[in-house]
Formats: sequence, structure tokens, C-alpha cells
Amino acid sequence: MNAAPRFHLTKADRRNLRTAAPFILPWVIGFFAFTLYPIVYSLYLSFNRYSGIGDAQPVGLSNYRHLTSDPLFWKSLWNTLYYTGLAVPIGLVVAIVLALAMNQRVREVAIYRAAIYLPSILPLFALTFIFIVLLNPRFGFVNYLLTLAHGPEINWLGDQRWTKMSVVLLAQLGAGGPALIFLASLRAVPSDLYESAALDGAGALRRFRHITLPLITPVILYDLIYGTILGVQIFTPAYIPVGGTSGGAAYTAGPDNSLLFYVFYLYKNAFQYSDMGYASAMAWVLFVISVVLALAIMRWSKYWVYYEAA
Amino acid sequence: MSLLSRRGWKASLVFASIVLAACGGGGTSTAPPLAGCNSGTTQATFWTSHTPPDSDSLKHIVDAFNKQSTTTCVKLVQVPGSETDIAKLTTAVRSGTGPDVYMLDRFTVAERAAAGVLTDLSAYGASSLASNFVSFAWAEANFKGKPYALPFDTDTRALYYRKDLLQAAGVDISALDPAKGPPTIDMIRTMANKVNHKTGGAYDVVGFIPYINQGWHYTWGFAYGGSFFDAASCKVTPNDPKIVQAFKDMFYDWDKALGVDAVQTFLSSYSPPNQPAQQDPFLQGHLGFVVTGDWVLGQIATYKPDLAYGVTYIPVPHAGDAPATWAGGWSMVIPKGAKNDKGGYEFMKYITGAEGQKVYTKETQHTPTIKSLASDSSLFPGQHQFFINQLPAAHSRPPLPVGAFYWDQLSTAQDAAVRNTADPATALKAAADATNAKLSAFCPLT
Repeated sequence: MNAAPRFHLTKADRRNLRTAAPFILPWVIGFFAFTLYPIVYSLYLSFNRYSGIGDAQPVGLSNYRHLTSDPLFWKSLWNTLYYTGLAVPIGLVVAIVLALAMNQRVREVAIYRAAIYLPSILPLFALTFIFIVLLNPRFGFVNYLLTLAHGPEINWLGDQRWTKMSVVLLAQLGAGGPALIFLASLRAVPSDLYESAALDGAGALRRFRHITLPLITPVILYDLIYGTILGVQIFTPAYIPVGGTSGGAAYTAGPDNSLLFYVFYLYKNAFQYSDMGYASAMAWVLFVISVVLALAIMRWSKYWVYYEAA
Repeated sequence: MSLLSRRGWKASLVFASIVLAACGGGGTSTAPPLAGCNSGTTQATFWTSHTPPDSDSLKHIVDAFNKQSTTTCVKLVQVPGSETDIAKLTTAVRSGTGPDVYMLDRFTVAERAAAGVLTDLSAYGASSLASNFVSFAWAEANFKGKPYALPFDTDTRALYYRKDLLQAAGVDISALDPAKGPPTIDMIRTMANKVNHKTGGAYDVVGFIPYINQGWHYTWGFAYGGSFFDAASCKVTPNDPKIVQAFKDMFYDWDKALGVDAVQTFLSSYSPPNQPAQQDPFLQGHLGFVVTGDWVLGQIATYKPDLAYGVTYIPVPHAGDAPATWAGGWSMVIPKGAKNDKGGYEFMKYITGAEGQKVYTKETQHTPTIKSLASDSSLFPGQHQFFINQLPAAHSRPPLPVGAFYWDQLSTAQDAAVRNTADPATALKAAADATNAKLSAFCPLT
């Protein structure tokens, strides 16, 4: 390392900085205008009553106080944590299994990789529409498979006990993204470890349990945190089937409001009930919850994540 | 010495010009006229969340307007949204890129006016048009004594029945002749139960599910003589005993008798989310009765012209009760910050006037709010006249600044009753408490 003072810039450094500054300027402006400003502004709004248009009226902590007595707030929080608790571990397992499948040394692997990854690049909007048809209790493909296996006929989107599971299933269509990251980490596992384990007589399961799994734990941690943060923000798969239909369904977010996820309720408050202040308060509570969850996972990770370098 | 090198300046110039180009797209007033517009006209943008077949009819009206207007050229844009969801509009208005005219569910006018999204139409002379419209529709278009909307269509609800299904089940349908007055709920229940049919343990035909389509909380609450709002105390009253009774009979007990899970499976199978109108379970022969609006006449004419059906009053709790229905409908508004508000208002006057509403009524079988069209019986062929006749006595939803919230709360209570997860009195009390807590901030309303 050079011994120059920490903030000393050489002439070349300064020239480089001057050249670089305009190139990063768009991002810096974008960050201030579209990320930092809305964050700060929403904190301000959370202490106001504001319809979205006109002047905000300060109301102190009343938005936050109202949260505690709003049954739909608690319901949406419960729905969201329930969903996240199901979707993250299931998504993790699905992504690892897909990554292992994509990592097979077979001739057609490129085709499999494309097929597995394809749903991840399709718009969630279109996937949800297809999913509604697949989940039809009488004519859907999923229940057809269940009846072949003598399983029960499940009313996936019409029975409050199954709606969240339906959304978890839908989320798995997007597992190609995390699977790709797992694939990269699988490829990074040194093959000599497998070879020596095989020489020692370790079977495929043992090799996975004692070599693969420990070496991909950093990626598992990343996926857990990323999945949790995305999970608590779940919106689209709930909004499309129940967002604005006036046919059979009432204007509830799924049967018994079982798909009223946190961000969906936040959206309703902001844009349907014109209560931006309350919605902003909800956003800040969600932010705190996300941070707490992420920190808890980080702390827990000390017991099981293996860093090779350490 | 400049902070930026020469190369850096070039880069930032490119960036700045991109930003300027991106920002410059918002202005619509100087855009060249569209095809079908007269030269020298100024463009006005008209947003609707309607979908075909209704939006096709709106397009016809826009085309007819453009043909005759020498000042304004209207561009119709379909946007996402629904009766109570105007997220697209709110964000566009907030950022100064809103339309000049927006089609808004009329019962939310008070709510959106209170939120500051709408322009007060007094300055355009809207008040002078009041006498042209049926009075309840005009009342809904006003908030705190000022007009914020011009009423467009309206509608009423009635009970449709499938003659073929009922007769095949051995039901004597002569009792459903509207000339004999409204049928009782018991009568309909007896008829409907004969139509129920299961295959492989699951319903494929259900006689009557009171709450689908337009069998809302408001529909049955009004049918039972309930009142949803008390103006004197400025409080919503969904826990009115008559509404509680309606919820108990039509939602809680009705579904319990049919089997809650069985009905829900039927609905998910034959009436899944986002279903196109042509697959409607009534049109497809899976329902014997349905409560719905007059616009379905247009859908039947389009998708199933040979359907053997009849229309009568929404059933009443007791023989001899007066029939009840309610009227809804849409309206045209000028959002805040409209760039061509004058052109927009000119179009609003046209589309909500006799010419525009006449086309819409003919093509979609909605009901006009313009009084002068009510006597033109050529506009209401067949069953439509029955709906028109109900209009003078129709109820309408209370126009509250928390109307959308109240609707959702009532829907939550309805859903709980339908699924037997909460008893109606408790669910409606919760809806009252939540709504009144929000409403109190706006009281008094006059």
C-alpha cells in the first residue's frame, strides 16, 4: 500500500475524477431525486394528513397510533409474514434444486437451463393470468394432477386457507433468477474436493451435505436476506387476481382478505382512500420490520455461514 | 479552473439534452391534430378505465365529437383503474401530466373532490346544466354545494332469470311476470333450489347466489329497507338492524344452506378472477338467477342473442313490500392541472349531453341521466324499458368523502358473512367503527 495521506489526490487522480464526475452525475442526480428525496419526504408525510394533492396537514403521531388499532393493518402484516415465512424457505430449496439440475453434465444442459430460466424473464402479470387458469378448481391442470394422485380438490384462489400457498407456488416460477446465482456458486466449488471425497467413498448425498452445502452458504445467506426483503413487499401476484374485479368476487383482497398483503394495503390507502400520510407511516413501519428481519438473519448466519477465507 | 474537463462537459451536455428531451414530452396542447380531427383544433386528452364493449362506444362518441368540433380534438386513452382505484390519475395529476377529462365513478366524486383531485366546475357554468339531469345523479356530482362532475350514464339493477333452466327443473315461471309485482325471497329460494345440480359432488349449476355480480351489500340492504348513512349525525349506519338482517338472510344463511365451500368452489370454477363477459356463468347456463344491471342486456345481445331469459324485480323480504333497486353510474370530471380544461369541458358537455348519451345508451344499454332522453322509447328496446321504469324510485349510494373506503369495509363484512367467518352484526359494527373514524375528519358535510 502506498503511504500517501488518505485524501491526497495526485494530479492524475484529480483529472480522472473530473472525467468521471459527469459520468456518474446522472446516477447521483437520480439517487437524490428519485430515491433519497422520496424517502425523506415520506417520513415527513407520515406525520401529516395528506390526500396526495394540495397541502399536507400535520397530525403528529396520529397515523402511527391509528396503525395499532386498525384490524386490517394487523391482518395485512400477518398475511405478509405468513407468506414470507413460507415463500423464502420453499424458494430457497427450489432454487438450489434447479441450480443442481442446471449443473448436470449432460449434452442438452443448455436447453434445460433456458427452459428453467424462461419463466423468470416473463412478465409476472402474464404469468399470474396463466396461473389463474392453471389453478381453476374444476378445470385447472394443477387439480387435474392432484386428482390423478387421488389428492383433494383444492379451491386454490377461492379458499382463504389456500390462497397464500397459491401465491407461494406462483413465486416459484421466478426461481430461475436465484437459481442462476446458485449455479454460479456451485461452479465455484473446487472439483478436487469432490474428487478426493469420491475417492474416500463419499456418495452423492454425502458430497452435497459436506462439500456443496457448506461452500454455498454465503449465497444461501444472500438469498435469504434478498428473498425476505422481496417477500415482505409482495404485491403483484395478489393485486392481479383480486385488485379490481367486480364479477364474482367482492372488493376484498381475496377471500377473507387473505391476500391483503402489507404493500397492497399500503397501496389501497395511498391511492384508493387518498390517505398518503397513513400509507407513508405504513411504509416506515415496513422499513423498520425489514431492517430487523435482515439484522436477525445476519446475526443468525454467524452460526452456519462458512467463509472459506476466514 | 473548471471542475469539469472538456470531455466531461460533453458527457454532461449529452445527459442534459436527454433529460430535457424526456421532460419535454408532457405537453399536449401543441400536438398536431389526430386523424379525424378538424385542422386548427387543440388536443384534449380523455382517460377512461372502461374496457370493451363500453370503451368501443366511448370511442364512437369521441369520433363523432371530433368530426363536428372546430376548436377541440379529443384523444381517448384507456388507462388502468376501476371504480375505486384511481392510482394512475392521482399520480399523473400530482406530477402535472394528468388528462383534461377523466371518467370517474359518480359515487366517488365527493371523495375525490375532498381529496383535491378535481376541478370545481362552477367557473365553466356547470350549475346551469343542473336541470338537464335526473336529480339524484346531479346530487352525486356535487360536493359541498359545488359541481365537480357532469353525470354520464346511470343504471338500475334487477333479477334476471333463465327461462330454459327453470322450466327444465319444473318451475312455473309465470309467477316471475313483473306485472305480478316483486317476487318474495322465499319464492325465489324455492325455485332456485330446484335448479341446483351437482356432478361428481360439485355444483355445475346453482339456482341463485344472491351476492354475485350486482347482489352487493347495498343491493340487499336497500331491498330490506335499510339506511346506510345518517346525515343528521354525519355517521354511516351499516349496522342498521335491517341491513344486518339482509346480511344474515342473503349472505350468511343462504351460503350455509348451499354449503360455503361448495359455492366457493363453484364460483372459482365458473366465475374466476378477470373473467371476460362472454364467459359469464349466467350466460353459460350455470346460474338460474342473477341480480345484475341493465348493461348486461347489451352483453347478452352481443354474446348470446338467443338466450331465453326474463327480467323482474329484485325479490323482497315480505309479500307486498315495495320493490327496491339502486342506481349507480359514471361521470366526467376535469382533474386538477388540466392543460386544455376549456376544450375538455366542451367535450364533457357533448358526451354527457343528449347526443353523447344517446349513442352510449343505444350501444351499451346503459341508462341515460339526461332527462330529455327518458321519453325516447326507441332507445330502450325490449327489457330495457323495465329498468328505465325503476329509475324514479331507485336508491343511490350516499356520496361520502370516504365512499371507496366505506364500500371496501362493507365488502369485507359481506365476505365474512358469505364465508360464515363472522356473524353479520359484528362484521357490520366493525365496518361502521372503521368508516366513522375516517369520516369524522370531514364532518359536517354541508
